[in-house]
Amino acid sequence: MNAPPAPPSPRPPAAAGAEADSATGLPWPRTWRGVYLLALGSFALWVALLTLLTKAFP
Amino acid sequence: MNPLDYAVLLGTMLGIAAFGTWRTRRHRDLRRYLQGAGNTRWLTIGLSVMATQASAITFLSTPGQGYEDGLGFVQNYFGAPLALVFIAVVFLPIYRRLNVYTAYEYLGKRFDAKTRLFGAALFLLQRGLGAGITIYAPAIVLSTVMGWRLDVTIIASGLVVLVYTVVGGSDAVNLTQKYQIGVIFAGMLTAFLVLLGRLPHGMSLPDALTVAGTFHKLEAVDFSLNVQRRYTFWSGTLGGLFLALSYFGTDQSQVQRYLSGASLRESRLGLMFNAVCKIPMQFCILLLGALLFVFYQFETPPVVFNQAAWTAQAAGPAGAHLRELEAGFKAAHAEERMDLDRWLAARHAGDAPAAAAARAGALAAEQYADGIRADAQAALAKASGRTSTSDADYVFITFILDHLPHGVIGLLVAVFFAAALSSKSAELNALGSTTTVDFYRHVIRRDASDDHYVAASRWFTMLWGAVAIGFALSAHLAENLIQAVNILGSVFYGVVLGLFLVAFFCKRVGGTAVFWAALAAQLLVFGLYFSLSISYLWYNFIGCAACVVFSLILQAVLGNRGSAISDRGLASSDL
Repeated sequence: MNAPPAPPSPRPPAAAGAEADSATGLPWPRTWRGVYLLALGSFALWVALLTLLTKAFP
Repeated sequence: MNPLDYAVLLGTMLGIAAFGTWRTRRHRDLRRYLQGAGNTRWLTIGLSVMATQASAITFLSTPGQGYEDGLGFVQNYFGAPLALVFIAVVFLPIYRRLNVYTAYEYLGKRFDAKTRLFGAALFLLQRGLGAGITIYAPAIVLSTVMGWRLDVTIIASGLVVLVYTVVGGSDAVNLTQKYQIGVIFAGMLTAFLVLLGRLPHGMSLPDALTVAGTFHKLEAVDFSLNVQRRYTFWSGTLGGLFLALSYFGTDQSQVQRYLSGASLRESRLGLMFNAVCKIPMQFCILLLGALLFVFYQFETPPVVFNQAAWTAQAAGPAGAHLRELEAGFKAAHAEERMDLDRWLAARHAGDAPAAAAARAGALAAEQYADGIRADAQAALAKASGRTSTSDADYVFITFILDHLPHGVIGLLVAVFFAAALSSKSAELNALGSTTTVDFYRHVIRRDASDDHYVAASRWFTMLWGAVAIGFALSAHLAENLIQAVNILGSVFYGVVLGLFLVAFFCKRVGGTAVFWAALAAQLLVFGLYFSLSISYLWYNFIGCAACVVFSLILQAVLGNRGSAISDRGLASSDL
């Protein structure tokens, strides 16, 4: 029995990853990796600040 | 409201709607009608994505939620930044490369026609119902504020948004949203500053935060593992991640917004703008509610904020009992106010024992007053024959009407309208587009001209507008408006997300397997929703996980047969 043919994926995530490394055109951050890290860092900062607020006014 | 308020309200709302209609009135090309001119920059996209999500419910109910339950609801948005980054990396490049009109076109290309139609149908069902709720919220405000009939208010607000959305399509939505979000920011900032200015003389912001914290209004993050708690860090991050992935990644009302970007870069930056701004924005709205709570500790609040309902019943057979409860509440609140004054004075004087005693007294008095308030709400519900009265929805509008100056009142009512119209227009635009592209053009009439499809899209947009207005007119809403919208989304969203994740990452799964798996997963979510009492956010995760796992199992069972069927579907569903 032959293996079932895999349905073609119009665009694999790997291709998207390649684009993610291109320049953003911004003065800062210059790479998409930097933009994503900025967004995730801002999330972590807000969680930390909100946790501090919760603890500071019990 | 006086003539100045009406001038501000009508000037901003009708002015923006008329401008949007006039600027976009000549669109005949289908791509431009559904996706805009293709020159939209990242800030416009970012504001458009934000305006689409932030409906009138956000600005009407969320301060009330902050007043009642504190900041905990902000955790609901913890998953959003993670989801937006994931969408920018994985979903967005695929949508843009395939140049699709709707997200469900991708399902047709990847799987088959029936899976595409199933995904589109789930969207139409849940977004069609959600659109009714979106239109209901500002109608409550206006019917309360102006004594208008609720049905007239719903129909009038529905017609305004229908006009420019039908005429101008996606361009009109983007253009009007930019100005509407400007009105929203200006109004909310003004309300915040006025509220700070109306706090008791001598009370600093740290004092206000201390009072809010004492009454548990600043408990923003809860790391509890108890799944029965509605808002925790874990449900917000994990459940919220799946909710946000589904909403931003697969809901056409959002996908259509960021696909209108001039390039992949503009669309991505628009999403990242929201990844950074979403949590602080929700925090500020909830903090406004927590500060409203502090304000009303020093200013006697009504025993029930829905004053229209209260006044109506107080004149009826239950009037004596309601007035007795009101008198008891006022006495308890006066006692609490005295304890709070003593506490703050002792605190400023550095008298720790006196401060502790007064604080304990204030807490006890507040608990007693809160009990009377709950009794009053129950008595009102019994007298009016309504099973649910969500008083939180009336907190912010009561403050606006009683304590803001004229002109600002009109601006704040315009905020609710602007938010309602901006999210409603995006929803109607998406509903019309999906019905046209995924059903009409794909199933009913495949080879018509652009003019024909633009006309069809306009008719479908009008049809969905009528459905939303009809649903709003007959809506029987539960608990709290914003929660009702989120709960509705969570019941359907998880499975839709599962379809897309299987499409992206499970390359061996074909159309037949994923279609039946999605159906089974949706039935499972319905079953669990009616039999469990867990936070609704978890249904996003459960629906998505069930769809993925069922797909893998079913594909293994079907083997060649499932894939062969899938391949035939792929061939026939290419556009």
